[in-house]
Amino acid sequence: MAITERSVETPAAPGGSGAPEPFATPYLGRTVRIVGPVENVDPNQTPHAKAGRGELGKAVFHWRNNTVSKDPLARVAYDTHAADQNNHINTFLRKGASGDINPRRVPVNDPAKMAAHIKKVARIFGADVVGIADTHPAYMFNGSYMDDKFATGGALPEDIEALARRLPYIIVAPAAWDYDLIQAHRHHIGDAAYDFTLLKTSMIYSALEGYIREMGYTALRNAVNPQAAALAAGVGELGRNGMIITEKFGARVHMYDAILTDLPLVADQPLDIGVEDFCKVCRKCAVTCPTNSITFDEKVVFNGVEKYKINWETCYKLRPITAEYWGQCLTCVTICPYTKPNAWWRTLAVQTLKRTPIPFRGVIVRGLKWLDDTFWGTIPRKRVRWLGYDTGVKPGERACTIPGCTAQHNTEGPKVDVPLSEMGFYMPLKENTNRFVKRG
Amino acid sequence: MQLGKLRIPWLGGKTDDDDPYGDFFLNQPAQDPKNQIDTRIRGSREGHVYPAKVDTHTPAIMTEHVKELYRFFGACSSGILDLSAHPELRPEGDDHPYAVIGVFKAAVDPRSHPGIGGQAVVLDGAFATFNLGAIIREWGFRATRVPAIDGDRAAAAAGLGALNRAGRLVTPQFGAQVYVADVILTDLPVAPDR
Repeated sequence: MAITERSVETPAAPGGSGAPEPFATPYLGRTVRIVGPVENVDPNQTPHAKAGRGELGKAVFHWRNNTVSKDPLARVAYDTHAADQNNHINTFLRKGASGDINPRRVPVNDPAKMAAHIKKVARIFGADVVGIADTHPAYMFNGSYMDDKFATGGALPEDIEALARRLPYIIVAPAAWDYDLIQAHRHHIGDAAYDFTLLKTSMIYSALEGYIREMGYTALRNAVNPQAAALAAGVGELGRNGMIITEKFGARVHMYDAILTDLPLVADQPLDIGVEDFCKVCRKCAVTCPTNSITFDEKVVFNGVEKYKINWETCYKLRPITAEYWGQCLTCVTICPYTKPNAWWRTLAVQTLKRTPIPFRGVIVRGLKWLDDTFWGTIPRKRVRWLGYDTGVKPGERACTIPGCTAQHNTEGPKVDVPLSEMGFYMPLKENTNRFVKRG
Repeated sequence: MQLGKLRIPWLGGKTDDDDPYGDFFLNQPAQDPKNQIDTRIRGSREGHVYPAKVDTHTPAIMTEHVKELYRFFGACSSGILDLSAHPELRPEGDDHPYAVIGVFKAAVDPRSHPGIGGQAVVLDGAFATFNLGAIIREWGFRATRVPAIDGDRAAAAAGLGALNRAGRLVTPQFGAQVYVADVILTDLPVAPDR
């Protein structure tokens, strides 16, 4: 679907007549630096688009296009593995036509109050973190991004720079995954937490987009790289694992989309919660990544941006191999020391790191990492039971472990006669990962 | 002399009085219904029932699963109603044995606040009922959302609270500040609440 949007009026270029001032190099915090020219990312060259076209191999192509999930929750939550698209809410959220912009525009006299209002509105709709960024052409795709197999990206309605000037703000408003359920990553339980939160985030953006149009302003989606926007909006910092790490929820927040708008707002500033210092030392995500897709090395410059670069291709290619047992790996999210329950001790740790002068943070980081290894372990494998699912049961085995259940199940195997421990079953993929990236 | 709203300053925080756009958010009806996302979800076509049924546990456990899913999708409480015991709530010609009812905490009453903000809790309910209905259908059982059923009466019949004189649900937890989402009718084997 191509981006379509209708504007009520086109404001004059700031600064009156003459050529507008060029965009300055944006500051994205300490974890990411723009050091050279950035080529706008083509949405047709992003992972899902390539997978859908078969450019990542036959296995990924068939997994992406021709697989109906065996798991009923996944059939509802994941559009490309649904049996019936009408049981997937995004069918109606993303593919429905947007409403018109209200011709009676709500006047905004104080952009700071409007920024506070729009953040409150996003939270009412369910967002857990909300940030506002100044639009910069470097954050934008060079086309419309749609990540499903039924629609392809189209052209932007106008030149990228002109669009960035006409819609000068970006709103980022994601929801966080449930902490307890995400402990059951590499399992259908973790998939449900991830995928349904993604759908909720889609609903939040749809509702926010509709509300901005009702106020008489333009709201444009699918045009911005949400990770770049999240960094600029102070939603979080970029970790070694390639995820945005937020202050309250760690890495369990998915940057799904962002809204470009001409609603007068006040932008937030990038955040410093010590991710730069922690990721230099920690490397727990790189150690546990089943496909060795996360680097142990220093940052690299890629497309004019200095950052830790993950190997997304090897990360992606795991999916068809494990599709029968889980859809989303999320090991790097779960093991990240920032991904913890939102408790006082977590706030204390993050605030301590945040308030420590940068030259002294190394000592604090080593102490916090030792605490994390000691109390939370070096492999995330907590046992989680939810609905009829149980991570204590080996993937592929079928057993009902619900106390008091007397139903005659049609399982091939025994009812409860599988060895169960207090730990979740952890499929030892690591020794098989040389098929992806050879190390050592 | 008129006293203003009671405020407890040491609990801090700004009140809605500080938000000049709060009234628009809560009370201004959408000029284009397509900007109101809950209507888009509630008017959506329902998917098919998956041809293979999942193994079901005992009805009591399936009830727990349904309620757990409702909690996961944001409901503050939920209940199951046996429609054979309440034929007055059953739509004409319907043969589903059970009704699943979800109650959501509402900051404002959506019936008196037609704005997008006033309808936010309706959106929460629509999201939950869409997904819960779809999951039951993917489990291999019938499930359909029926906005026409009086949700407050059904919720009271399921033991989630009592009706006040205006016919609104009053719950022990949140009083009348609740919204009952569209009722889901199903043939999933569940144990009704008393």
